[in-house]
Parts: sequence; structure tokens; C-alpha cells
Amino acid sequence: MHAASEPAHPPAAEPSRRRLMRALLYGHGVDRAAKAKARLGLAIAMFALGYGVIATRLIMFAAAPESHLTRRAGADAVATARPDILDRNGDILATDVRMPSLFAEPYRIIDIDDAVEHLTAVMPDLEVAELRERLSSKRRFAWLKREITPQQRAAIHRLGLPGIGFMTENKRVYPNGVAGAHVIGHVDIDNQGIAGIEKWLDRSGLADLHMAGLATDRLQKPVELSIDLRVQHALRDELVKARVKYKAKASAGLVLDPRSGEVIAMVSVPDYDANNPREALDPTRINRLTTGVFEMGSTFKALTLGMALDSGKISLRDSFDARGPLQYGKFAIHDFHPQNRILTVPEVFTYSSNIGTARMALKLGVEHHKAFLRKMGQLDRLRTELPESAEPLVPRNWSELNTVTIAFGHGLSVAPLQAMMALGALMNGGYLIPPTFRKRSQQEAMAIATRVVKPETSEKMRYLMRLNVEKGTATKAEVGGYYVGGKTGTAEKVVAGRYSKTKVLTSFTAVLPADQPRYIVLIMLDEPQPIPETHGYATSGWNAVPVGGAVIARIAPLLGLEPRFDLPSSDNLILASLRESR
Amino acid sequence: MMRLLNICVIAALVAAAVYVYRIKFESTRQAERVSKLRMEIRREHDMIAALRAEWSKLDTPARIQDLATRHLALKPLDPRQFDRLDRLPERPPDLVPPGTADPIGVLIAKPEVMDMATAIVSAPPAESVPVPRPKAKR
Repeated sequence: MHAASEPAHPPAAEPSRRRLMRALLYGHGVDRAAKAKARLGLAIAMFALGYGVIATRLIMFAAAPESHLTRRAGADAVATARPDILDRNGDILATDVRMPSLFAEPYRIIDIDDAVEHLTAVMPDLEVAELRERLSSKRRFAWLKREITPQQRAAIHRLGLPGIGFMTENKRVYPNGVAGAHVIGHVDIDNQGIAGIEKWLDRSGLADLHMAGLATDRLQKPVELSIDLRVQHALRDELVKARVKYKAKASAGLVLDPRSGEVIAMVSVPDYDANNPREALDPTRINRLTTGVFEMGSTFKALTLGMALDSGKISLRDSFDARGPLQYGKFAIHDFHPQNRILTVPEVFTYSSNIGTARMALKLGVEHHKAFLRKMGQLDRLRTELPESAEPLVPRNWSELNTVTIAFGHGLSVAPLQAMMALGALMNGGYLIPPTFRKRSQQEAMAIATRVVKPETSEKMRYLMRLNVEKGTATKAEVGGYYVGGKTGTAEKVVAGRYSKTKVLTSFTAVLPADQPRYIVLIMLDEPQPIPETHGYATSGWNAVPVGGAVIARIAPLLGLEPRFDLPSSDNLILASLRESR
Repeated sequence: MMRLLNICVIAALVAAAVYVYRIKFESTRQAERVSKLRMEIRREHDMIAALRAEWSKLDTPARIQDLATRHLALKPLDPRQFDRLDRLPERPPDLVPPGTADPIGVLIAKPEVMDMATAIVSAPPAESVPVPRPKAKR
């Protein structure tokens, strides 16, 4: 070893040739030993770096094991998973089922004839020519058949054909088919919601999960709806029967809980099978309760009465002149059941007097009427979870004539669900609660409720509703034990700009039990025809009301309502409690 | 001395290699088992979902109603057919004390029961059979 104290200049004894070589190789004035040492250090550093990289990679592999396995499981589900949709009792309304699908990688297939022969032996419904064409194509991937059975899958697996594989896909199924299709909605071929609650699910974040590829797990939290499947079915069954019986164009029904705003059942016939969404494109199959707007007819008189009683200017003891038609400009307002005398306020309601309600609204004035209807949510679009909703048709220049006609339900078209929301407020003690299709408790409902009328007004309205079943236009809806209250409505439809006498929309709104309301039931029949049983009438009392009675008799036991047979009449029960509280 | 140390080190190296290999092999096997179990769980989940879907399809109210109207003589419930449990009438007191060896013999021995029986037999057939009430006991 050379010492560090070696002179910087080489000894002169060195031959000149060697000195030249050294100068070329190492440069002048450099110590050879120090240089070798530095090079050695560099080599050690390089090797250490190399081994370090290898070691870190090894640690990384060890720390994140089998990452390749999880990736394979995730890639398996092509169509994205969706959460189950359950009804309020936990019955399945929509769920995902995994279906194997058969695919081929044509470039890997060795003997096409052999593959075709074997595959058609297992699945005779495969088209031979098409299969051969797909297998001999140059593509890297080809679907052979979507959604095969597990038995077929096992049989094909046993054939052991190279280049043939399976991929499991999520398929949305609706076990109940038509029941609740309008509420649940449906999905497209890629499992994306395109209507009803399914679309709402996508809007409220599921679509983003799908985009990120995270929604492949089927253990997503199920969505609970407010719908009761049994009630939904019973309502639909009765409405289908009613539509046939009265030869109506359509029928629709709604069951609403006025205390929580939950929609228990919603049916619009004709409807469609959610498993066959192509039927939904037919415009006659729309959901009339949210997507359609209608002039509700006499059902709207309940709102006018509610407004009148709530204003404090009109009491149940007042009376209105209905001795002759109400002349308004060139229009004359007639009554359907003319009494031609002075009617008290309860009589105006039970005889469904157009003249009486019109006079009531006129007494309070246009602005009051307008403000009340706005407060009750009748002039703005009602938004629920369902993406399908319709804007009410409100007259642009609201004159006194509009107030006169709207008082008895003509001239303002609203979605029936919207009208029921307002009626619910008149029944439940005065709280306007936006309806929902998801499960909601009363506390949650009260948190978003707004008080719109006084509790006494609600009590008086319940008395009038009950009175109408006891001795008014809705006597056919009386179901023993449930203390039903109700209001009928027969609206003439506008045909070519005029009100038609033969084409009507009949409706019946019921509240049960009237003394402590639990449910509101709406029945609507679109263009029912007179039949021998109705003695040539097509008004609500002859068709919608008996249907309502049948529906109530059927659903009340399902809803767990306790029948009470020893209740006194509405005069003695509801009105008396009202007097006591004063 | 140095040689012995070298041999020891080599032996330790070989042992360590064997041990590491075994651990590695075992872990691979376990990983395979985990993924297999995971696959099985997934398959079971899918199966449960499929069966649940099938069940709810068979359990559809429309189908049950169809089957019931076709095969059963049952009718929809009438509100008069159910009542509250606390409105049930009191159970009549026992004619015979419980635990009697010969209950019929005790009944026959009671004169008021025999009177009632003859009254029922001799009476014209009524719409409903009167419930024997132990009036005489009071």
C-alpha cells in the first residue's frame, strides 16, 4: 500500500512512455490509489442501491398480498350492483340476481366445428350459423349468450372447450312485477335507473359509485320504501276490477298516511311490468297520480270549505243562498243536486253545492283564495323522490271567475298526490307534510311540517267528511267499524275546449277513521261509463265511492286498524268534542 | 476453528432457506384457501340472493290470491270477525274441580246438571245450543 504522504509527482525515474500512458489514463497529478478507492466506493453504492430496490419491492409484495386476486374478483361483475329495494315490512320489491353470461375469445379457439357442435348440443336454442360466424371472427372477445342458467354453465364447463368462458353479470329483477312498478321504476340493460325510485337512487350518489367502479359489492344497504306491498296489491286488484266493471279508460288509487306523509300504496291502471320496461313507453300507462294533472272537481270543495272555516269569517252555522243558479257575467253556475233553497255550511258540503262553495270563495276574495291555495302547495310543482312530476296548470290572470270555478274544482289542474297532501293537512290537525315514498317516522315528518290551518278547522273538516258518508253523497262508502269520512268528486273533462257532459273524471277521497285519521284513500276513475247497475249514472257516488268502500274494507284489516262498532254519529262525536274544547 | 464456523454458518443458511421456503409455501396455500373461501362466500351470497328473489316471486300477493281463490273456500276478512283480547268474556267456572279421577261421574252425581240435560233433550231443537251455566251453584 502506498502511503498518503507519497509525493504528488511521480518519480523522475519512470520511463517517458509509461508516463505518457499514465497521464492519458489518469490525468496529471492524480493519485492512483485514492482514485481506486473512490471507484470502489461508487461500485458499492451502486450495488447497495440495486439490492435496496429489490428489497423494497419484496417488502411491498409482502405487505400487499394477493392484490391480483382481488382485482380479478372485482372485474367479474360487468353490470353494476344496486341495493335491494324493500317495502315497509321488508318484502323485496327489487333485487339483484347474478347471472352467468357466455363469451368466447375467438383467437384462442382451436377447432371451430367442434366448439359449435358441442355448444349447440348443450344449448339447442343457439343459432348455428350465427355462432359459427361469431367464433370465426377476428375479434378478441364476443358474447355468445347473455344470462344462461347455472345448469347450462356447468354443462359447458364440463365440455372443457378452450377460448370459451363465463362472466357473471348483475341483473335487476322485480319479483312483484306490476305491483308498484310506477313507484319503483326500472333500470336499463346496464343496470342504470331510468325511472321511479331506481332513478332517484342513481341521482343520490349511486351513479358516482358506479363510475368509480366501487358499487360491485352486493352488501349495499337496502332502501326501505313507505309502500306496503299487500296494500299495494289489494288496491291494484280492486282498481283493475273497477276499471273493467265501469269500462273506464283508466283508474288510479292512493293510500296516504296523513300523520307522516308516507305513501302506503299508489296504483295507476293501466300500469306495466317492471321486468319488461318497454311497456312503460306506452303513454296510456303513465302514472296519473304524479305525472298527470287533473281538475279534481268537487274534491277540491274540501279545500274551499277548509279555507272558509279557517278564515274565521264563516262558521258551521252560517248559510248560503242556493235558491237559483249563480250568475257571473255570461256564465251561470248550477248545482248538480239542486236544492233551490238556502243551505247551511254542512249542507253545502254534503249536497256538494257549487253555488254555495263559489259564494264562500267570493266572500273571502280572490287574493285570500290564491294565498290559501299557495300555502296549501297547490300552485307549485310538488317534488318527491320520484323524478316524474307535473307542474299544476294555474290560470295566468286569476280573476273572480277563476276563483268561482276553482272553488268547486274546475279551472285549476293539480297532480292528485298534491291535492291529497293538502287534504292530509286538513285532516291531521293542520300540518302540511310533503309526501314521501321512503319510510319516515312521525317525528321526522313533524320536523319538516308547516302549520297551515288551525286544529279546530281540521276537526270541523273531519266532521264534514264523516257527515258526508253518514247522509251525503258518499253513503255507499260506509264500511262498518272504520268510521269512514269522504268527499266525492265528479269533474267534467275538457274535450275540444268545452266541458263534456259524458266524459267525466270521478274521484272519491276518504279519511279513516274520521275521528282520529290514520289513512287517506283516493280513488279516481277516468271516463267511467254508465252501466245498468248504476241506473245510467256515471257520477262519483255510483262508481268511485263503492270502489272506495271495497278498497277500505279490504285494506283496513291489513293496515291493522281496529274496528269499532259502538261509535256515535259525527254530530255527537267529533262536533261534541269540538264544543267541549271551547 | 474457522472451518467449523463456516460449516455452522452454511448449515444455518440451508436451514433458514428450508424454513423460509416452507413458510412461503404454506402462505401460498393459505392465500389460495382464502381466495377459494371468498369465492365460495360470494357464490353463497349470490345463491341466497337468487333464492330470496325466487321466494319473493312465489310469495307475491297476486299469486297467493290466485291460488287461494282456486283452491280454498276462504273469504276476505270482515271487520266483525276480529276483536280485542281484553273484550273476551270471562271463562265460566269449572263444574268439576280439576284433577278429578272420574269427571263424568261427578257431573252425573250433581242433580242440577241432570235437570239441565233433561231440559235440553226435551226442549224443541233451538238455533243454538245453550251454554250450560252453573246457576244452581250460586
